[in-house]
Amino acid sequence: CHFFFFFFFPPSNLCVAALRSATRDGESVVRAMEFSLSGNGLKTFSRCITCLARIGNELAIEASSSQLEFHTLNSSRSAYQSITFKPGFFDVYTIFGAQVKFSVLVKAVCAVLRTPIQSIDHLRVQLPDPDASKVQWTLECNNGMRKAYSITCNVEPDIQHLALDRNGFPSSLIVRPRDLNRLLANFQSSLQEITIIATETTSLPSDADSETGEKAVELRSYIDPTKGQLVSCEFTNDLNGEYLTAVLLTVDNDSSLHTQLWIDPTEEFVHYNHVGDPVDITFGVKEWKAFVSFCESCEVDIHLYFEKAGEPILMAPKVGLSDASGSNFDATLVLATMLTSQLREENPSEQPQRAASIPAQAVRQKEPQAQPESSHRATASEHPSDQTKIWSDLSGSAARSGSAAAEDRQTAEDRNLSATDLRQSQRLGRIQISENVPAGAPAASRHHNREKGPPEEAQDTPQVNDNAFSQRHPSNWVDATEVDDDDDDDDEDEMCIQSTPPYCEEH
Amino acid sequence: MSSSAVEPEAADLVCQLENVQGMVDSLSAVRWKRHQDAVVELSEHGIVLILEESNCLQAKVYLRKELFAQYDYNAEERPRFGVSLGLFVDCLSTFTVPGRASAIEIRYPGPDMQLLLKSLDSSDACIYAEIRTIIPDTVSWDYNFEPAGSVPLSFTVKSAALKEAIDDLEWPGSSIRINLKPAPPSVSFRGEGHGDLQIDLMYNVNSDLLLDFNCNHPVSHRYKYKFLRATTSNLPSSVMKENRGSKLTIGRGGMLKVQHLVPVGRAPFPNPHVIDSASHQQQPGRIAYIEFFVKPEEEEDDNRND
Repeated sequence: CHFFFFFFFPPSNLCVAALRSATRDGESVVRAMEFSLSGNGLKTFSRCITCLARIGNELAIEASSSQLEFHTLNSSRSAYQSITFKPGFFDVYTIFGAQVKFSVLVKAVCAVLRTPIQSIDHLRVQLPDPDASKVQWTLECNNGMRKAYSITCNVEPDIQHLALDRNGFPSSLIVRPRDLNRLLANFQSSLQEITIIATETTSLPSDADSETGEKAVELRSYIDPTKGQLVSCEFTNDLNGEYLTAVLLTVDNDSSLHTQLWIDPTEEFVHYNHVGDPVDITFGVKEWKAFVSFCESCEVDIHLYFEKAGEPILMAPKVGLSDASGSNFDATLVLATMLTSQLREENPSEQPQRAASIPAQAVRQKEPQAQPESSHRATASEHPSDQTKIWSDLSGSAARSGSAAAEDRQTAEDRNLSATDLRQSQRLGRIQISENVPAGAPAASRHHNREKGPPEEAQDTPQVNDNAFSQRHPSNWVDATEVDDDDDDDDEDEMCIQSTPPYCEEH
Repeated sequence: MSSSAVEPEAADLVCQLENVQGMVDSLSAVRWKRHQDAVVELSEHGIVLILEESNCLQAKVYLRKELFAQYDYNAEERPRFGVSLGLFVDCLSTFTVPGRASAIEIRYPGPDMQLLLKSLDSSDACIYAEIRTIIPDTVSWDYNFEPAGSVPLSFTVKSAALKEAIDDLEWPGSSIRINLKPAPPSVSFRGEGHGDLQIDLMYNVNSDLLLDFNCNHPVSHRYKYKFLRATTSNLPSSVMKENRGSKLTIGRGGMLKVQHLVPVGRAPFPNPHVIDSASHQQQPGRIAYIEFFVKPEEEEDDNRND
């Protein structure tokens, strides 16, 4: 009989290894677990691995006679993904014994799947015995090459199970990945966290002039106020030209793009269900995008289950009407949500003032005599535009345009008086604060500190003052005049927000 | 070096190449590092470039005179000079025009021992380049490749497949063991590191992966991954597309020779600016030969050589 390469097998199990006999094409007797895949199953499997790789580092594998489960947890323990395969998913699926558990590095599995799927005839995964230190992943390629990867595995994985009952969530939505990607494209690509605010859809009859579509859902960028960003690194010589100093300019997140998107769930979602008070959930975007890509490549819709801030959300591919495709494969992603609700700090008023009240409250914190600009915001929120309206706030609290067309980002409409009031209050607020703020140097001290000293905001950096997130940071307040130097149309009464790309290009 | 200093008109070598892209491709195939100095030898047979690293890896590019539309060699002794390979290739690349064959003339030496390049494509404009040369190292290590025994140990594998296998072997990294076995006829590449990878190529009638296989006894040697990688890292796309074979031979002491064939294509239409000498072969596929020599790693355990 032929003996195949023995160094595949762990030396501690020599007696077991001696029992193995190999046929010419390398099949060996396996005592723990074996499965093999080809064709479409292999494609799906590869997409699963790609998604898992974007979530966590360690892949826990649990095999039983009824199913094979992969799961991973991200490093900040805020995302847990689980993928379950039924035996019918595979060409071959064999388990010896009750259950096999081990974990591998996801990166190692990615290395196996580097070979293009279309050039693979089949993949075979073998765990020689339950205590094996290596698991074999063998690719038989169409061109005749065989690639046998032997990946170190850890037989004591410490990833816990997380099983959430989908039916336990009061609210849910179903969205097509393509539509979701389109909505997410409005947000800065480097966005880390996002907030979804869900409100109950009322059954208001829509107006004849179609301006009052029911925008029951809001997507809002969430910028963690405690996380700064490195904007630029500037090297300067000191006055004598002798020493090179590096000035690292860190700016807190005012310079980020803040985006809010109001959408009509009946237009954008396949299904939407939420009853009761508005709830908001804030969670990480990176893992969400990974899952969206995964669903898109598998051509399935995304089912998102949620409850409220602080409770995890669950996502799963929406199984189609026909049971056949979804029955032997399932995936779920659980994301932790931020404990503090974005809505909680509002004044307890009704929904139309929801967006208004956060900045109103922020202003109240800083500047007692600030005009309540909630009035103008409430006005604006009562006049949403068609399907989807996009409001990108780059500087100060630009009022929304009530009648802007859906795709028109130019919100250079006439502002009502309250906007001016707001700016007034901003200036007041700023001046007050400038004396005691170490970071975010105001203009006065900027010139003195040109060459060295405290981190200063680069003059060209777009100053963002999104009141919704500024309640904790006085440094967020900006002298509106500095900002408008660049983008205003010489009319200080009119806050003119130019469309985002040219604005950014200037800087 | 040569007596051309006395008569400036009679250069050691004046040659014309119809399509400079072919030369760029051949020389690119031996670029595995940013900074490499090549030794160039001119002879009546053609041009040879030699590169070396760490006494473990050597590469040679043979550009036979038949590849050139015109090849005038006038030196008495074979001129040898050193030139920065990256500089040379980048310079040649500037003469290329995408989608069109571009002809150049190469002349050596210039008044200051430079390598002179001149474009030949148009009569109204000219691209002209001078490349400084250096005195090469006195001794270029001659690998003196000898066959392992009376029967050669070699196999020919599709170039694209070889590159794919070596790229995959990056994952385990470190050193790669090449095994040749006569029965069943097969080649395997094995790397062991944080994980193990073994790539097997079987030789049988059906497979067009291994185009040739000669082995009468098992042989096994280890080579450093980075040197093995250098033999395929920059194979030009023309080689991958044509997907001829690359031949690997194991010589005495385990020295590995890797040979590639790079097409140096002819211009589709005769270039009016190039004087096509009568003796010039009108072959559809003209080839530059690339050879790599990789020294094996020493075996710490039992000698598994022949």
